Amino acid sequence: MKKQSTKGLALIVLALSVWNCKTSDPEPTPYESGVFILNSGNFSDNNGTVSFLPRGSQTALTDIFRSANPDLTLSGGMQGYADISGKGLILVDNSTAGQDKVEVVEAGTFKTRFTLKSPDIENPRQAIQVGPNRAYVSCWDVSGDFSKGTFYKDPGYIAVVDLNSSKVTKKILAVKGVERMVLVGTEVFVGSTTYSGDKNLLIVDANTDEVKQRIEFSATPELIGLDFDGKLWILAGKDLVQIEPATRATIKRLTFATAPSNVTFSADRKRFYYNLSGKTYRLDNTSTTASGSQIIARTFNTLGVDPQTKTIYGAVVPSYKQAGYVVRYDEGGTLIDSVKVEIGPSGFYFR
Amino acid sequence: MQALRWWVLGLFAGVLTGQRSVAQTDSLRTTSVVSLSVVTVRAIAPERFIAGQKLQRIDSTTLLQFQFGSLTDLLTFNTPLAFKNYGSGQLATVSFRGTSANHTAVLWNGININQPNLGQTDFSTLPVAGFDLLSVQYGAGGCVVGSDAVGGSVLLSSAPDWKQKFSVTLGQQLASFQNYQTQLGIRYGTKLGENWQFSGRSFGYRHQLNNTYPYQERRGYFLEPSTTAQRGLVQDLFFRHKSGKQISVNAWLTDNDLIIAPQDPIARERTRTQSARFLTTYEANQLSIRMGWIRDLIDYAKEDFSGPSHTETDRLISRVEREFNLWPGHQSVNLNLRVGGEWSHYRTRTDGYGGRLITENRQDLYALLRLQTNRWLVSANVRQAFVTRFNPPLTPSLGVEYKLVQRSIWNVIAKSSIGYSYRVPTLNERYWLVLGNPDQRPERGMNIEGGLAATAAFSDQLKLTAEATAYHNRVDDWAYWNPTKNYHVENLQLVVARGLELTTTLTYTRNGWQAGLRAGYAYTRASQERVYDTYAQDVVGKQLVYVPMHTGTFNVYVQRTKTRLTVQTQTSSRRYVTFDNTQFFKGVTLANVLLEHLMKLGPVPVRVQGQANNVFDALAISAKRNALPGRNWAINLIINFPSNT
Repeated sequence: MKKQSTKGLALIVLALSVWNCKTSDPEPTPYESGVFILNSGNFSDNNGTVSFLPRGSQTALTDIFRSANPDLTLSGGMQGYADISGKGLILVDNSTAGQDKVEVVEAGTFKTRFTLKSPDIENPRQAIQVGPNRAYVSCWDVSGDFSKGTFYKDPGYIAVVDLNSSKVTKKILAVKGVERMVLVGTEVFVGSTTYSGDKNLLIVDANTDEVKQRIEFSATPELIGLDFDGKLWILAGKDLVQIEPATRATIKRLTFATAPSNVTFSADRKRFYYNLSGKTYRLDNTSTTASGSQIIARTFNTLGVDPQTKTIYGAVVPSYKQAGYVVRYDEGGTLIDSVKVEIGPSGFYFR
Repeated sequence: MQALRWWVLGLFAGVLTGQRSVAQTDSLRTTSVVSLSVVTVRAIAPERFIAGQKLQRIDSTTLLQFQFGSLTDLLTFNTPLAFKNYGSGQLATVSFRGTSANHTAVLWNGININQPNLGQTDFSTLPVAGFDLLSVQYGAGGCVVGSDAVGGSVLLSSAPDWKQKFSVTLGQQLASFQNYQTQLGIRYGTKLGENWQFSGRSFGYRHQLNNTYPYQERRGYFLEPSTTAQRGLVQDLFFRHKSGKQISVNAWLTDNDLIIAPQDPIARERTRTQSARFLTTYEANQLSIRMGWIRDLIDYAKEDFSGPSHTETDRLISRVEREFNLWPGHQSVNLNLRVGGEWSHYRTRTDGYGGRLITENRQDLYALLRLQTNRWLVSANVRQAFVTRFNPPLTPSLGVEYKLVQRSIWNVIAKSSIGYSYRVPTLNERYWLVLGNPDQRPERGMNIEGGLAATAAFSDQLKLTAEATAYHNRVDDWAYWNPTKNYHVENLQLVVARGLELTTTLTYTRNGWQAGLRAGYAYTRASQERVYDTYAQDVVGKQLVYVPMHTGTFNVYVQRTKTRLTVQTQTSSRRYVTFDNTQFFKGVTLANVLLEHLMKLGPVPVRVQGQANNVFDALAISAKRNALPGRNWAINLIINFPSNT
């Protein structure tokens, strides 16, 4: 009995000391692991947000930037997010020129660290890591009049961001409508948005931040990423093109009847998911024809695949004035569930 | 249809040749008998024939205090109307009793001046200096006002000053952020022979908002760079015959030039809104004829301003009204019938409609009946509008006011009304390429309200007024640019707005001192009630966007001879920005302090106003999620020479 109570006391002391240790731990990191949903918001309302969905949860945490920084606002549409050296880069597009920014937060907590603003950042599109504490942020630059064809400034640029000094150290002049980038070794392959009409694929040396090469395509090259075998895939108009990055040689070209959208790799990077004519399809990388099999009888605002769980995420936007939904499917296209998120879900980041 | 038109024409022929009868007193509130031979009842129809509903007349002191302000500012601090504000000097649209920006009729001298392509008014383009009288008519006014009067009406009018021989007004405002305003006007009047009298006003203004803020952000919110140049010209001419006949000519030209992001030669955006409004009115004792022409231009351009996207709309308006006293010679009972007809011709050429010329005709016929006794005021009205291919339904209304208490110290009036309203689809809703819906139906509202209004004169020094109103307004076929149909416009929604309005004023006068307060509170609950698709379930029953549930205004002043101190405050609860109420702007309280002094520089009376706006430096957020300016200042000088006051 005495022994037991001594043991009990010891346990209490241990528990207390553990609890005590815990209270002096660094602050909790609620966003360590899970799915970030980028909500574009309604364009001129500038009310985009980032929601967070822990794996296994059916409830999204809303506006996590605001939760972590109650006195601040993102004020714009969310164009992208990336984790780089423990920091999260949130790309914010405001409807007024001069008000775009990249909000840099602590990745696990979303507490703000610093903000990159205009004129360094104008219409940011995507951020990628190109080295320790080094990021590239593709930017369209200020937009002119769409109806007069001057919407995309020629050329757009890539902002080179040094996360140690919290500064944009250089602007690399890129292509019109510069958008997605893929790092292959020390080279960054740079594509553009299809609406820009710029047909150049750009290759940038990530060590020198200089443009190395331009390759002209038949249509605007939109980068998809590297497959399981390290080959680069590009969507150019109606074509899915596989490229050997080292030699720049085209390995294969799959031509669709109409251009697919939301082309996304599966978790193992051996397949694509994409939307076409109101449906969702799956296609093997090894396929020699552009004929995928339908797995979901509807289309989405955007598609994402969780590399950890292989779950397919489809974003649904009922209107840009009410919360959208994320519908989840297993890798075969069987419905799992649907989770309400925020206004205009348009991108996923899996962590 | 054709037969009906002939019937109408016949009716009018009868009306116009009908016999004359004597004019009558204005309202229950008028207790003294006025000399009718000279003072013809000129109150425009909405003020006389909507019995049982709330009518708020803005006093001349308030108008003078907002002499350099926009209509947005004045109404924000003096009424429960809620504005969706896009920024300082930028688009401001109204929500009246929980309705949308399309549901407030803005009348200038009795004519609806809502921009017909958009079906709404940008209140930032209407400076208070542009008119002489302002009243706000609460609730549906469809049968008297016509289209758009679903939530209520804002009535702007020009008024002659028959006593004035000649006077010059010069006003100058110097405000924070390098914002300036200059006003210059003259009033003149004379006798024209034995029988005629003439009064006129020529007035011009120029307002330059540079908005050079000393800060780029407020508490994490950007201030949007923008400039607004506003110019305007008002020309009023009134000719009065001693028999009571009056001829008036009114013109109001406005030019509003807004540039967003002017610092950036590529991203800058310019919206230029120009309107020319001309109106001629002939009024005899029983007959009034109005003819008007309104031209509205909107030019929008980005980057290069030389080839803007252009909208040009003309309206030709004619209106004939004839009033009959149906029970002449009776001492305590007045029964009046006013019948009227209106014909408008619309011509629009808009890039968004493909640039083709689109024309349409709109006709309205209405009969307004008004019964007044010592205790009762009853109005029964009916209107039928005919719009090329878009006929709204027959619109009736019935309103009653009854004097519950009629004592020397105080009296109480009970009011009640039921009325329909409608909104003819805007030109954009019908003709916009691809998105417009040629089969769009008019929206239809039914408003029921009731209230009590009390006035009390406790002594010669102390006076009190109080009014409480409750309403229920149901608007069906509410237009919705449906995102699930690629934003095609449809008659999808059903909106119910209900609310309560309380206002009170208290004035105290003694030994050269004057003090007063005016307080108002409004509860507004407006929601969409129809489930028309799966996702509509998330928005059913939710408060409409940008409509605060609670608003309050509180104004106090103290005056000692020629010096007056006024504090104006306005507070509103949270405003949701999404249909499902998942996002909102926090409630905010704005307060302004105004110190005025009327002094004389030699023979010239000069009114000096010192203004501190947003004195608590509150953070108000624009619809684009930008910060509105913090505490700011203005000095106003108004020189009136010679003055009547």
